[in-house]
Amino acid sequence: MNKAVSIDKPMLRVSVAPHILEKRTTSHLMYHTLLALVPALLAGIYFFGFAALKLALICMATAVACEAGMQGLMGRKLAVKNGSGLLLGLLFALVCSPELPWWTAVVGTAIAVILGREIYGGLGNNPFNAVLVGWAVVRISFAEQMNTWIMPEPLFGLEPGGYIEYPPLEVMKIDGVEALVDLPWLDLFIGNVPGTIGTVSVVAVLIGAVYLLARRIITWHIPVSFLASAWLFGIIFWLIDPETYANPTIHLLSGWMVLGAFFLATDKGTVPVTGPGMIIFGIGCGLITMIIRYWGGYVDGVAFAILLMNATTGLLDRVRPRVYGRVKEVA
Amino acid sequence: MGLKASFRGVSLPPQKVSNPAIENAPLPQRVVLPLGHGGDLVCEPVVEIGEEVKTGQLVGQSGDFLLAPVHSSISGRVADIRPWFDQLGNEVLSVIVESDGNDSWEEELRSDERFLEKETVQLLTDLKAAGVVEIGPPAMPLHAKFAHPERPKEFLFLVGIPRAKLVDTVIINCIDAEPGMSLKGAVLQENSSEILAGIKIVQKLMDTAQVVLAVGSNGSLNAPLTSELAGLGVKVYQGKDKYPLGLNPILIKCVTGREIPLPDGSEQDIGVAVVDAATLVHLVEAVRDLKPQVERVVSLSGAGMGAVKNYKVRLGTVVGDLIEQLGGLKGEPIKVIAGGAMTGIALFSTDIPVTKNIDALIFQTAGEAKSFSQDACINCGTCVRHCPARLLPGELSKYCEFGMFEEARDKYLLHCIECGICAYVCPEKRPMLHLMRYGKRELSLG
Ligand code: SF4
Ligand code: SF4
Repeated sequence: MNKAVSIDKPMLRVSVAPHILEKRTTSHLMYHTLLALVPALLAGIYFFGFAALKLALICMATAVACEAGMQGLMGRKLAVKNGSGLLLGLLFALVCSPELPWWTAVVGTAIAVILGREIYGGLGNNPFNAVLVGWAVVRISFAEQMNTWIMPEPLFGLEPGGYIEYPPLEVMKIDGVEALVDLPWLDLFIGNVPGTIGTVSVVAVLIGAVYLLARRIITWHIPVSFLASAWLFGIIFWLIDPETYANPTIHLLSGWMVLGAFFLATDKGTVPVTGPGMIIFGIGCGLITMIIRYWGGYVDGVAFAILLMNATTGLLDRVRPRVYGRVKEVA
Repeated sequence: MGLKASFRGVSLPPQKVSNPAIENAPLPQRVVLPLGHGGDLVCEPVVEIGEEVKTGQLVGQSGDFLLAPVHSSISGRVADIRPWFDQLGNEVLSVIVESDGNDSWEEELRSDERFLEKETVQLLTDLKAAGVVEIGPPAMPLHAKFAHPERPKEFLFLVGIPRAKLVDTVIINCIDAEPGMSLKGAVLQENSSEILAGIKIVQKLMDTAQVVLAVGSNGSLNAPLTSELAGLGVKVYQGKDKYPLGLNPILIKCVTGREIPLPDGSEQDIGVAVVDAATLVHLVEAVRDLKPQVERVVSLSGAGMGAVKNYKVRLGTVVGDLIEQLGGLKGEPIKVIAGGAMTGIALFSTDIPVTKNIDALIFQTAGEAKSFSQDACINCGTCVRHCPARLLPGELSKYCEFGMFEEARDKYLLHCIECGICAYVCPEKRPMLHLMRYGKRELSLG
């Protein structure tokens, strides 16, 4: 067959469809999530001083360095630019006490990056939330350092909230519910209590969460089902026995609950991707959190709840909507 | 008429110009007429090299029901009959005609206003002889859509495909599905009388069927047209601006609530026929004027074009010739796309002829052309949220990437309607649609 068409014309680029792509890239997602965490970080700095900022910077630098090192070592494409390391570092700092010694932070972040994420193949392919893996390891290994708290000292404006000396959940666990009766809910809401850098101020976290939702970087499924199931579970016990069990709203406002629901339980790659799967995931997180808070050995259950539910992600991804055009299969 | 179903999808950047007027492209110097429309089947050429042909003269024919006859789109001399690349890069036997510049028709076109009195068998015969092809996928002769189990034998013989299912809904698709297409809205505006005539023909051919005119936000129906449609008993379905509403599987779902049974089913299996608005105009010309399909409306767009234009192009015009005759491009194109921006095919050369199955050409310049990455899926789930077939594209793409095609089949790969949304939204810019098609192809090879 003789040559049908001469192809020595100017070269055209061929590619498969589609020929337009959405602008949003992975770095977009990461940097917007970082931006959404800025209010929480600022709140941390406001209440705990520049120690909070220092810790955040240490964690972020460690995370990026470990990420780059691992990617170099494993011969993968260097993907530090996409901001996922920065995000991991910042999230790690936000769930730590501002008093955390720098070396603990470095060890925790390094474990999070290396054992939590990179050995599985990098971003999105780790089965467990990397931040929480790192956190869990140092929490168990260095319990004392992880459990040192300082009182909030707002830089300006507010009176330091001096009602409790430990994070509210610790107080609740050790001293019982009555110890919290005097605590103004407003303090809990704005973060004028001891606690970790990024979780004390619920309002700051919520600002970021609204931003993420508005930008459609996360969907409502997991956070809403997480918080709703925790609250509903809590109210049952509170109605039965308010002496032993605290008002569930206090539970929502204290500890990692809000940050966990919006930022940790929506970590891409470790959570289900279908709507129903995400809702079951959120409900599971909410229930396990409350169970640990009520009866477990640890003070705050969010981290372990999310880690446990991460393990079910593969299973929950089986819960999927009926696909288009599926007819009943004949056996 | 409201939505019968909701579907997942995306809002695509809107067209800058809506419904540009349809202009006639200049007569080409030569045309390349492929004797098949994809697939292995081709027509037999019925002319010889050197023979003089007139516009509208039959040049290729086949006994196969799935092949439409091919007519010369200009008058002149048959220069060659040899394989030529089509838009997919397959070599297809083609008749090459060089123009004598006269465009003299084989027979004078005469408008027969009493076309509606024709017998259905006659209507179908005329339609078949005109070689009107409904744009794909899959491209097929239009008459094959009008199968009707309750018709006399001659009718069935023409249609060729015996079907047990009676078509009860005919959807006239006037929705410009994707960026780069702006022809159907324009056709609806400029050819409203043909659309009405076409609907009457369709009603005659499929007498028990409900005709639904589906228009997008671009299709404005003026008051007289609306009342005429109402008089004909046609329902109007007003769609919203969301891709992939214009793609047949989703359109059918939204209008009738039914889904095409996949992987092997077709719209006929659920009693629906979708006819493209531009094709409907050819249908009318075929039975009213006995005019074979020798041209089609093509939308031209992209930064290379500068503006969005609609041209009525003679079939077989080579894309490069067309550009030249229109006075060149505004910018050097780096990618030339046959079809819409979401599902179109990037041409490897501008030596490809315009066929009955090309309704848009996009000329992208270097600044516009996108490319895909080879990065791993980060399991972010964005594609899952937008897949109109409710699949898990991320997971499927990984199966296809690593050659696990059977697993992909178990996860309903064959239900993918190839809309391209997963690739559009993927933050890692993975070549998702490519992976889907690759997997499907591997499965079809067994
Ligand atoms: S998997 Fe198929 S149907 Fe789903 S978004 Fe991708 S191309 Fe469209
Ligand atoms: S959108 Fe892309 S990266 Fe995200 S899950 Fe789908 S394929 Fe993977």
